[in-house]
Amino acid sequence: MHNKVRILKRIIQYAVIFTAIAFAFFPVIWIVSASINPGGTLYGQKLIPEKSTLEHYKMLFTDKRYPFMLWLWNSLKVSVIASSITVFLCALASYAFSRFHFRGRRAGLLTLLLIQMFPVMLAFVALYLLLLWIGKYFPFMGLNTHPGLILVYLGGALGFNTWLMKGYFDTIPHDLEEAALIDGATRFQAFVRIILPLARPILTVIFILTFIGDYSEYLLASIILTGSKKYTLAVGLNLFITSDYARHWGTFAAASIVGSLPVLIIFFSLQKQIISGLTGGGVKG
Amino acid sequence: MKVITLGISNAMGLWAAMGLLQAKGWGVLAVLIAGLIGLNVALLSKKAYPLRYLLPGLIFFGLMVVYPIIYNINISFMNYGTGNILSKAQVISQFTNEYYQPEKSERFSYQIFRNKEGDLRVLLISKTSKKAYLSVGKHLEPIDLHAPSLVYEGGKLVRIGDYERMSMIQIIQNLAKIQDLTFKYNDGLVKFSSVTEFQVYKPLYHYDEKRDVLIDLKTKKVYRPIDGTFTSSDGEKLSPGFRAYVGFRNFVDILKNPQISGPFMRVFSWTFIWALLSVLATFALGLSLAILLNDNTLRFRFLYRTLLIIPYVIPGFISILIWRGLLNTNFGVINDVLQKFFSMKIPWFQDPFWAKVALLFVNLWLGFPYMMLVSLGALQSIPPELYEAARIDGAGSWQRFYSITFPLLMISLAPLLIGSFAFNFNNFTVIYLLTGGNPPIPGSQTPAGATDILISYTYKLAFGGAGAQYGYAAAISIIIFFIIGTISAINFRFTRRLEEMSENL
Amino acid sequence: MKRFLVFLVLLTILLNTVILASEAGKLLIWTDEQRKPILENLGKQFTKIYGVPVVVQELPFGDIRDKLGVAGPAGEGPDIIIGAHDWLGQLVVNGLIEPLNFMEEIKGKFVKTAIDAFTYGNKIYGLPYATEAVGLIYNKDLVPTLPKTFAELIAIAKKLTHPEKKEYGFITQASQPDPYHSFPFFTAYGGYIFGKNPDGTLNPCDIGLASKGAIKGAYLLLSLIKKGLVPEGIDYQTMTSLFNAGKIGMILTGPWAIAGAKKSGINVGVAKIPTVEGNVPKPFVGVQGFMVSKFSKNKALAAFFLRDYVATKETRLALYKADPRVPAFKPALEVVAKDPIVKGFAENIAVGIPMPAIPEMSAVWTAWANAITLFCTQKETPEKALSDAVASIKKTLKCH
Repeated sequence: MHNKVRILKRIIQYAVIFTAIAFAFFPVIWIVSASINPGGTLYGQKLIPEKSTLEHYKMLFTDKRYPFMLWLWNSLKVSVIASSITVFLCALASYAFSRFHFRGRRAGLLTLLLIQMFPVMLAFVALYLLLLWIGKYFPFMGLNTHPGLILVYLGGALGFNTWLMKGYFDTIPHDLEEAALIDGATRFQAFVRIILPLARPILTVIFILTFIGDYSEYLLASIILTGSKKYTLAVGLNLFITSDYARHWGTFAAASIVGSLPVLIIFFSLQKQIISGLTGGGVKG
Repeated sequence: MKVITLGISNAMGLWAAMGLLQAKGWGVLAVLIAGLIGLNVALLSKKAYPLRYLLPGLIFFGLMVVYPIIYNINISFMNYGTGNILSKAQVISQFTNEYYQPEKSERFSYQIFRNKEGDLRVLLISKTSKKAYLSVGKHLEPIDLHAPSLVYEGGKLVRIGDYERMSMIQIIQNLAKIQDLTFKYNDGLVKFSSVTEFQVYKPLYHYDEKRDVLIDLKTKKVYRPIDGTFTSSDGEKLSPGFRAYVGFRNFVDILKNPQISGPFMRVFSWTFIWALLSVLATFALGLSLAILLNDNTLRFRFLYRTLLIIPYVIPGFISILIWRGLLNTNFGVINDVLQKFFSMKIPWFQDPFWAKVALLFVNLWLGFPYMMLVSLGALQSIPPELYEAARIDGAGSWQRFYSITFPLLMISLAPLLIGSFAFNFNNFTVIYLLTGGNPPIPGSQTPAGATDILISYTYKLAFGGAGAQYGYAAAISIIIFFIIGTISAINFRFTRRLEEMSENL
Repeated sequence: MKRFLVFLVLLTILLNTVILASEAGKLLIWTDEQRKPILENLGKQFTKIYGVPVVVQELPFGDIRDKLGVAGPAGEGPDIIIGAHDWLGQLVVNGLIEPLNFMEEIKGKFVKTAIDAFTYGNKIYGLPYATEAVGLIYNKDLVPTLPKTFAELIAIAKKLTHPEKKEYGFITQASQPDPYHSFPFFTAYGGYIFGKNPDGTLNPCDIGLASKGAIKGAYLLLSLIKKGLVPEGIDYQTMTSLFNAGKIGMILTGPWAIAGAKKSGINVGVAKIPTVEGNVPKPFVGVQGFMVSKFSKNKALAAFFLRDYVATKETRLALYKADPRVPAFKPALEVVAKDPIVKGFAENIAVGIPMPAIPEMSAVWTAWANAITLFCTQKETPEKALSDAVASIKKTLKCH
């Protein structure tokens, strides 16, 4: 009896998962189809075009006008650095919100969240001018530089992620740090040596979220990066469909697929980190 | 460690401040000093200890999030937009640099000479009177072409004193400098006109700083700055205008605009439903998948998770357009299938109801991986001991989900859901790419379509008038922020109650 | 952790370059991806002759206009941009581009429509580069004899249309509203967008989209749908993919569709849009050209580059070779008009009307598109839909 229920549950579990995967993949198949369609239109008449071609993929790696690999590398570089720093800044702030009792703690955190909801219409003008201005004093962080773009991305470090992480820190027992403090460690050391390792799952999740966000971010990057050698993938890809009608849909589709692979690989390999540190047996409060 | 950090940053700050003092970068200086004071307080005061953890993130937050908002608010009180994007000083300099050619403007052929210091002298020969002039500073002096200081080689003038004649190529390389040379000549100016000649010009406008007026020197008309445009007493306006503060005019315009107040309730209610259903649907699917995939006994769960985040990783720009093709009424695959099996043909983008369904459906596809990821993260924070205890109490899996997992999850996820609500409330991209706010509504005299949400509609108005009205758009975004801020603040109160409740858990 | 941070800081410092901005003695050109290589070549040759560096920076086409408004005034803009003539209104009233006085002397060398397009107020602001307009693009294998009149076109279309096999005779993007492509229908009986002031400039409050001629044209468009010739909801992507699969006889679109069709092996031709009861339907003409930034530090140099280097037959032919668009420069057009496709489009351009460049045009597009959708899906009559649209535009522009 018990076994039957378990099997039934498994079957339902698989059914849901595979339906969801099919749902997720459905349009992607058409993107793949567009990427091997020689005509360069977005909607092929058939899922498998009569004449299929790999020329769009070949173009990505050989065409000198579109340094696709360079864009890919730029994107990886910018998003890895930006999301690593983001995770660190976010952890610092979450720790403060979780452990210290200061006035306006909850109000402060909620204000952070509320402010993020502002639909900043003119962000592009403001950030352009801001970076121009920073660049005058620190040229390596100005317009058309990757540090400048990273700087902008770090603006989003505090926000909903902070809440998520604070929630996780809240569940880590206080006694661990207190023991360390008694042993003579400073607060900061306790934070780095005890809390951070325990919080690895949430750090990983936040890293992945930020990484994907920064990796596919287009709007800010397109304002700040003005030279095609500095482009991130999202900005570079846009060149393929720059004018309304002369769009290289095939190349764009191929690039979207190749461009998503690194993210999937990174996500796949980081997943082992998402297993709760709290279940790992390290914490028996 | 603390002392070293403080010492280094103070030293660096002061050094930068000295530089700024010299460069007169007052704005940056103010920010820098504020930052330094903040840093000192944070590191030295015991009370401000938590600030040490918050400050690094807050600096970036202030710079990259708050500053643009302040900029946005500032702009909302201005007439910034098509026709008024330059500063007043820029506009004045454009006008005072305009020249006109008086009737029968005298033309000159020219030669340019340069000494070792790079100073230039221009030799001009009038094409009408054949008289020759040589520049001396800002003036022209008649010159005898046979004077001894003029050196000829092979019949060509090559040098005047220690000034060497420049070749055409040298002239072209130095055009940036040459184009700005002006010499007083009778009651006008002689200026560079094209690479073949100089001509006589007269300035068209004079700016009287004391009276703050622009005077047309040809017609003697006086133009006063009114609302960011130099305007004459008979109403003639000079283009371009400049940005100027207009008080609350943008806000009043929005509130009084019948094109906004007319369809407001309809647009607002769809915006609300759209945001709410988007959040509920994505969260329901994302959470279910997260729970199903959080099962340690499930094989290949890493692979499944990876496959499921695909919609999040593919650029929305292409996937939304692909969806549009798939949902096409006559040619889309989805209708092909529906027709074959259910002989249904759904007017996805022609009918308001189905257009909304299509939007929600595509947004579910776009949004569930995010929800799955955050749920996965939040699930990790639930201590397994709680489950153990519940199991011992004999709770079934549904009951466990209901009484433990869900409430605990909601504590960490509720604000994210509120955030997601706010995000979808203003989710311009999906609407714009999938339906563009269409289908249009018959009989309406506003451009609002059936699937337009507040932000897509108001931006249609801000950018679909006579060009782009940034000031107006900025004011709109403030009003929308108040709406969404109020909704969120109310929601936060609920989450607070949730937290209080869960403390008993 | 600390080591990691140090590493990050070092890495961050390593990634930097110089910003590009208008600099005295150096030309900076903004253009889109398609024309970048051509201009770079051109620039290299110019540098070789005159020793003046030319830097070409590529931006998505639409960004060129928008970024000029931010970067120009901030002192970071280019010297020259290549853009579309219908940006003129915005760029001029914003004080972002410089009139090109030298064009007065050489305007005779350009196609008149192109010069008209780049004239704003009474000044010429651009050096025209290429012109484009929609035309009747047809599959020679399916349509061996060209229709001369619209009645003939409908007769041919009827024969070729088999919706069950997804085969069509003549397609225009009707109910997937595209006012741009529908414009020839509106002009066939004398409809217009903006009327003219006595001084020849456009009057944004005289809107002719609900005029008698426009409504008659709208009925013509509607009749195509009612006869079952044009299916509902066909957009550009679907239309071209069907045409490239050899399933459509004729489509009404522009030169951008040619390359894809040729690549798919279609025997493609271009012709004038057939006359409608003796009237000539006029398509929109778009003109691309070189414009000089008001904030350039090299205005004289830019003028020299354009006048004495770009506006020459050799350069224009080289431009055409690299990017076969219909040239706006007569000496070059004469040479390349031998190409039947160029000739076909040039004929359409010759009868076309430049897209209105005044900023008020942005109020027209949405309302107009909505009206087309409403009458094409037969939710409203053309009269009602178009007069509502005009009322809405007038409200937006505060016309009363």
